[in-house]
Amino acid sequence: MSAHRDEHLDLCAGLVLGHLAEDERLALEAHLAEGCRACEVELARLGADAVRMAHAAPHLSAPAALRSRVLEAVRAEARGARQVERGSTGAPARPTRAPARAARWIPTLAWAAAAVLAVVGIVQWRAATDLRRRLAAAEEARDRFARQLADEQRWATLALAPQARVIELKPTPSGAPALAARVTYDPATRRAILEVANFTPPADKDYQLWAITKSGPKSLGLLRADRGGRAVIRLPEVGDPATLDAFAVSLEERGGAPTPNAPAGPVVMVGKVAL
Amino acid sequence: MNEPDRDRSCLERVRAGDTRALEELYDRHGDLLYSLVMRILRSAADAEEVVQEAWLQAWRKAGSFDPARGTVAAWLITIARNRAIDRLRSEGSRERAQALAGAEPAAPVADASGEVGQRTLAEHMASALATLERQHREVLELAYFGGLSQTEIATRLGAPLGTVKSWTRQALARLRELVPQGEWS
Repeated sequence: MSAHRDEHLDLCAGLVLGHLAEDERLALEAHLAEGCRACEVELARLGADAVRMAHAAPHLSAPAALRSRVLEAVRAEARGARQVERGSTGAPARPTRAPARAARWIPTLAWAAAAVLAVVGIVQWRAATDLRRRLAAAEEARDRFARQLADEQRWATLALAPQARVIELKPTPSGAPALAARVTYDPATRRAILEVANFTPPADKDYQLWAITKSGPKSLGLLRADRGGRAVIRLPEVGDPATLDAFAVSLEERGGAPTPNAPAGPVVMVGKVAL
Repeated sequence: MNEPDRDRSCLERVRAGDTRALEELYDRHGDLLYSLVMRILRSAADAEEVVQEAWLQAWRKAGSFDPARGTVAAWLITIARNRAIDRLRSEGSRERAQALAGAEPAAPVADASGEVGQRTLAEHMASALATLERQHREVLELAYFGGLSQTEIATRLGAPLGTVKSWTRQALARLRELVPQGEWS
């Protein structure tokens, strides 16, 4: 993981204005992909600042004719997309039957040629519209996957972070001995991943995870495992490392404890955070 | 419903193919996008073309809007600015823009018929920019409206590249101090 430096914050400003050199942009993006909280916060703030620069442009009223043109272009595209979806065959030009008289041949040929061109044009236009629609969908999917991938990468790096702590939770006398749970916690980003096994609660009960802090317990949510009693749960914010003492699991009535700052049922597992 | 929420629900409808929803967005943000693109390109003919392309792109790419990354207005501004800067770069009109980007005040004269809220914000921003130290103002204008890279700005201002890098962030932060968050929305 590339350590955070103040220069990264300056690069963030360059990134939001889109004027970094390519190698710097790639270096910053690699640093961000590793999950740097300081840079993420600064990037969000600077991004909003940059967008506000738009308001520094002297205010003008857009010409009314431009509004009509923009909206007409959008409507035309919407109509095109709908026609493609319906597989419409409503061609504006139809081939005409050739009149018997020879004198009419030339105009007829011209009409036929125009009709052929019109049909070819429509076919091409439909194919292009269809391609555009498919391209937009593919680009949207790619952007979505890129975001998911970046998110996965951030989580994947958590376990590898040198400052990450692994906390094994142990069953208390109230808990079944088979219960197994492990929290991997990164104090720098306050993120954690919880893995559990044999977590099949009795009927009408739920397991609930708690952060035990110096000011008392704080609920981190219910633990709903799969049929085999296993689950991997991502916790984006488990709290301030300075005040976090332990993680605990309680067995609650279905839906969890009535208040988020005190377990109501027995505590079945505990693991102390040693920093 | 406040404006960002109204915008988001409009964009949901745009995504579903509702052209009226795009019309609503245009009526709320059309002037801002046009003003921005005019400030960058300084030619009404170019600006109108680019603005039209930007709205078509918003129509086609409504699905790529991610609310976690900002408001709809910010997304539209980003699309319009990117297209305008692309046009600036592709047309070799860069030199002209470079010459103009640092100049002040901007060539287009503010239009008094504009919506009051918008105009006030623009005025507020303009006076904040004017208050900035010269090098900070120049860096921001050359980068945001001129589309210049940091290296190009360093050459133009005769300053070391490293200095330009820190000026950029200092300038944005200073602007934020002068016009606090609440007054922007």
